[in-house]
Amino acid sequence: MMENSVKFESVGFSKRLRSMLRVDFRRMWRSRYFYILIACALLIPIVMTVMMNMMDGTESIDQQTGETVIMEGPESAWQNLGTLPSEEKVKGAEIFAMCNINMAFMGVSVFVCLFISEDFRSGYSKNLFTVRAKKGDYVTSKTLAGFICGALMLIAYFIGTILGGAIAGLSFDLSAYNLTAMNIVMSMIAKILLMLVFVSIFTLISVAAKQRTWLSICGSLGGGMLLFMMIDLVAAPVGSTAINVALCLFGGALFALGLGAFSNLVLKKTSLV
Amino acid sequence: MNAIETKNLSKNFGVKQAVCGLDMTVPMGAIYGFIGENGSGKSTTEKMICGLIPVSSGSIKLYGRDHTDGDVRAKIGVLIEAPGCFPGLTVWDNMMLQAANLGIENPEKEVIKVLKTVRMEGAASNKFKNCSLGMKQRVGIAMALLGDPTLLVLDEPLNGLDADGMRIMREVFLDIVKDGKRSIVVSSHLLGELQKVATHYGIIRHGKMIVEMTAEELDASCRTYGALQSADVNRTKTLLGCKYSRVEEDEAGFLRVYDDVTPEEIVSYLYENNITLTELKTDKIGLEEYYIDLMNGGKK
Repeated sequence: MMENSVKFESVGFSKRLRSMLRVDFRRMWRSRYFYILIACALLIPIVMTVMMNMMDGTESIDQQTGETVIMEGPESAWQNLGTLPSEEKVKGAEIFAMCNINMAFMGVSVFVCLFISEDFRSGYSKNLFTVRAKKGDYVTSKTLAGFICGALMLIAYFIGTILGGAIAGLSFDLSAYNLTAMNIVMSMIAKILLMLVFVSIFTLISVAAKQRTWLSICGSLGGGMLLFMMIDLVAAPVGSTAINVALCLFGGALFALGLGAFSNLVLKKTSLV
Repeated sequence: MNAIETKNLSKNFGVKQAVCGLDMTVPMGAIYGFIGENGSGKSTTEKMICGLIPVSSGSIKLYGRDHTDGDVRAKIGVLIEAPGCFPGLTVWDNMMLQAANLGIENPEKEVIKVLKTVRMEGAASNKFKNCSLGMKQRVGIAMALLGDPTLLVLDEPLNGLDADGMRIMREVFLDIVKDGKRSIVVSSHLLGELQKVATHYGIIRHGKMIVEMTAEELDASCRTYGALQSADVNRTKTLLGCKYSRVEEDEAGFLRVYDDVTPEEIVSYLYENNITLTELKTDKIGLEEYYIDLMNGGKK
């Protein structure tokens, strides 16, 4: 007689997460925009530093006031990492205060939004969520993929900073700004950990927007910009210490867990197709 | 134990009720033909079964467990509306992604196996966006077959398939359910094709289940009709129309008389009116006619 029951293998959290991560990382390595973003993160500091250095001392006339303006190039290669602590104003500080490594926080929003919205636009979300009753796997995996992409962008920007500085022949001296190499290392670690905060926000916005890519990108850029203005300067400045790293670690974990739970709830309560 | 059992299942989209109080039973080992008009709630029901949209009220049990149970859901293969593939990736990459999603050990072997099943092994290196409609559908079915699913939920899987594709699908469906444990829910508007494989039927209208029956029950419910051909089709049709309430001409040029009448009566009536028949046969109405009758509120 045929047995009238079917046995189902129990799938644990680690196995589920491993398979979800395998999907996301496989996709990430095959996404064109991932490489474009990393390339941008590498090239922007090189182009910025070299161009600004070439324009150093160039005179131009302000069209509105008629005054002669002298362009200021960078003084130190480390200006690409953020505003340098100095009592006197550092040359070129205005431009580099706006255009520095922190742009990677905004750049990663594009990656997260495209990465998540593609799942819904292509209909792949049906395959994913049919076999995944636990939406937390999805949120965790996407957050981790975004975090890795963000971390790689920061590292690429750092490499670009070194290369740009070397090409432009800028100073790498830190002592002039009362900084040490450890401050730079701590600053980079703090920024990488801070990336979790941003990626968690972008994940939540993208999960809520689903296939509406432009909505998620605009929402993420807007939300990210607000947060960026509030926390980056105090959380991960160029002169970071272990306290900044601890602060960013705590903030990153808090946001990843809190917003992850919220993203999970959004997925549970809304249509996934 | 049933593969799927829904009780009083409902789904509201704002004020619109897409599914209302649906009771559906899919036995283990069944190929369940889920039939209904456009917008009747078939896809919505299937999406609820697969956990893709939240249920407004009621319950869904899959193999006796709640449909949110991760262990059961891990064994569902799905093709709803369109294959869920990344257009920029190749067929092979899409399949490998799904294999990774299912946590399949030795994915290459499994992917090759299912691609061979749907005769798509030669197109594995094609980008998905460059595949034809029928090829995309085959990929979607291959994806649903990955991981040896216990339950398959297929929404219009036969769309875009050629005759060979349909034959392959019939063989695949029959092969899947032969152990009596795995089940398939398949919704299709190609009722003739569906009738060739389905063991059970569920007909839904305005979100409500009108009737559920086995293939045997459908066969018993389907009445016979007389089909005839004559040299003067138009005159024969007019004459039959005067005497019988429902006379229709089919694609093959046969005049079908659906009234409760014997072939002898038809022959004698036409003979009296000087009509010579070239062919006369009796047949049973198929699923399509049964469904149309049911939708029109007519007798079976």
